[in-house]
Amino acid sequence: MSQSNNDILLAISTPPFWHCGRTIRQNSLHTLLALAPAAALSLIQWGVPAARVMALSMVAAIVTEAVCQILMKQKLSQDNGTAAVTGLALAFLLPASAPWWLTLIAAVCAMGVGRMAFGGYGANQVNAALVGWALVFVSFPIPMDPNAAVLHTSLADPLFRAKFFGGAAAADFPLADLLLGRQLGGLGATQTGALFLGGLYLALRGVIRWEIPCAFLAGTFLVASAFHLADPELYAGPLFHIFSGSTVFAAFFLATEDSCCPHRRLPMTLYGLTGGALVMLIRVFGVYADGAPFAVMLINLLAPMFALIRSHPFGTGPRKAKRTSDNEGRARS
Amino acid sequence: MKQYFQLIKDPRFRLVQNDHRPFIDGPAPRRVRLNREGFAMVPGVKKKTLVSPGTLLAEHPSPDKGDLHSPIYGVITEINARSVFVDAMDPAEAEPGAFPPLPEPADLLRQGLEGEELVSAVKKLGVNTRSLGRRAKTLIVNALNPEPGVRWAEPMLVEHADEIRACLELQRRFRRADEILLAVPTGCSVRFSGIRAVEVEPVYPNSVNELLIKEVTGEEAPPDVAAVGLHNVWSLGRVALTGLPLTETVITIGTASNWANFVVKNGSLVGELLEFLHISLQNGDTILRGGPLRGESLDRLDRSITKGAYGFFVVNAGEVPPIEGDSACVNCGACIVACPTRIDPRMLSRYAEFGKYNMSRKENFRLCVDCGLCGYVCIARRPVLQYIRLAVKRLEEEERLAGLTPLEPVGKA
Ligand code: SF4
Ligand code: SF4
Repeated sequence: MSQSNNDILLAISTPPFWHCGRTIRQNSLHTLLALAPAAALSLIQWGVPAARVMALSMVAAIVTEAVCQILMKQKLSQDNGTAAVTGLALAFLLPASAPWWLTLIAAVCAMGVGRMAFGGYGANQVNAALVGWALVFVSFPIPMDPNAAVLHTSLADPLFRAKFFGGAAAADFPLADLLLGRQLGGLGATQTGALFLGGLYLALRGVIRWEIPCAFLAGTFLVASAFHLADPELYAGPLFHIFSGSTVFAAFFLATEDSCCPHRRLPMTLYGLTGGALVMLIRVFGVYADGAPFAVMLINLLAPMFALIRSHPFGTGPRKAKRTSDNEGRARS
Repeated sequence: MKQYFQLIKDPRFRLVQNDHRPFIDGPAPRRVRLNREGFAMVPGVKKKTLVSPGTLLAEHPSPDKGDLHSPIYGVITEINARSVFVDAMDPAEAEPGAFPPLPEPADLLRQGLEGEELVSAVKKLGVNTRSLGRRAKTLIVNALNPEPGVRWAEPMLVEHADEIRACLELQRRFRRADEILLAVPTGCSVRFSGIRAVEVEPVYPNSVNELLIKEVTGEEAPPDVAAVGLHNVWSLGRVALTGLPLTETVITIGTASNWANFVVKNGSLVGELLEFLHISLQNGDTILRGGPLRGESLDRLDRSITKGAYGFFVVNAGEVPPIEGDSACVNCGACIVACPTRIDPRMLSRYAEFGKYNMSRKENFRLCVDCGLCGYVCIARRPVLQYIRLAVKRLEEEERLAGLTPLEPVGKA
């Protein structure tokens, strides 16, 4: 038995030799799994059009990534699933009525401009799906507006109502309806209940860091409460704002894109709080009904600033004793 | 609930197993390979020389590195720049007097040597005194298993209490520290008279000396505290008890499914150990000396267990996602979250990747305690720790060279 040991080829590796098992691919698969319930509910609600948008967006994202990687002479990495995740996330933000060309443009821009232009997965400063979404949202406002599209639905856009008919209109939307996605908006982003559960799953799995969604939702909650208390007639309550539109989706799935957010606890908390607060500020003062995607883009851009907040590295902190000069020497070395 | 949100949920990172297995004596080696890098061979020791257990083979010029002794009866078959090979022989088969006499035991405890005299006596018996702790007010004996997977610390506290007691006595006589503390895992009831015990949460990386000091004193990098690992303590204690040169080491041998603690001869070939344990390897397996987080992988089966090694592990192909040398950092931040010294392994590894070693200075690369967690959590499977080690090595080399020339800036033409 041991004789054979002499003939085998050993693999040389570098420490550590154990690994947590978490890989990019695994994280993507978990994310897709977390998005699955929302996607399923969306299919039930919108049927074939939603399926079409989701499939087209994912395929276009994957193909764009592959083409860019070939042009950039990079290793093909479609098997790690990140393009599929971005494609699906993007589709979640589009209305189910999105025409094929709109979906295509959004997906190609998301992968091309949002990600590959920066060098590939993990190099982008702003969430790639949001870049694609923002480009078409600003360029083609009419087909992007679910209120304007001809959809055979009795659903209404809660944020649209709240914005233009006052906070009292929010009463038309029971919380249960919002949670079950009976609202008009992005085809998947409005499945807030399912997304909340999916997000929870990701946080428990450690794929996303819980501090960000917690702080994000807390930010929305606090600012929405403040407005609501100031004038309940004009401004809807905090739960309405959390579970309408894409706040939950943004908190769990958009704001948490690893390369666009800070990683230490205090910066993550501030980043989340700012994002959550911005959602409300845009919803109240901005021209757009749903502020969440823009809020995430803004905090993405602010992330490097938040990341500057960090504690002293090990043993270099200020010390009470006379040793401080010594420490400075260490810190600088 | 807490554990669910954590980045590292590996139960193996708990450093106590509550599974006491007795130490097993390793196989009698057929051949040993001893590392002689930095050593000067003793005159008269050359190829074909017959040696006995404890025969001095080489001396180290540094006063705090232990000398090299043969662990077995045998004949020297090869001496090269890095290693000395000894093939085992049965002394009964040779003519009487052919082998050098066994060394006389030196009873260090009875002799009453102290301070530097004791240090040099210990060095002559093959113990590295450098790793026994520098001069400090407080010396902490780190009785935690040094790494996940390594499991000899708990049984050692019980089974080898005599060695530890003897070592602690010698440590006192070194007069390097005013106070000696023993850091034991929380819940461990082992105590030694005259030594204050401190309980430490037995979770990796708390067993890394720098972090252990923080756990014990509550202060990060306090200037007057040093730590010494139980492995070194055992070595010194063994020498103190036997009075003979150090020719053995304690290791945990572990595979994915099993583990055991052994006392093996220094220089035992890993191939012989695998054979002894009936472990058969497959193509693509990795074998490593040291621990699973900080050890080094071996390329051949005729590599050996060196003096300071505390473990030998087999990681089967497919057990962990394969490491990819050239995979780019995806900024996931896992390493930043995991790093116990709050430096930025992400940027450090990138600087090293692109050869910008100088940038590493800004990032406090020197604070890295080499715990390996950054590589353990990297979702892109980058060799993060290796990059950082590379940077540290490069910069230290640079500084050493810079130290050879006057420090005043030299005018450039
Ligand atoms: S090995 Fe990695 S995680 Fe550990 S201290 Fe060094 S940089 Fe930080
Ligand atoms: S864990 Fe790896 S991929 Fe993630 S930031 Fe660190 S080095 Fe980059």
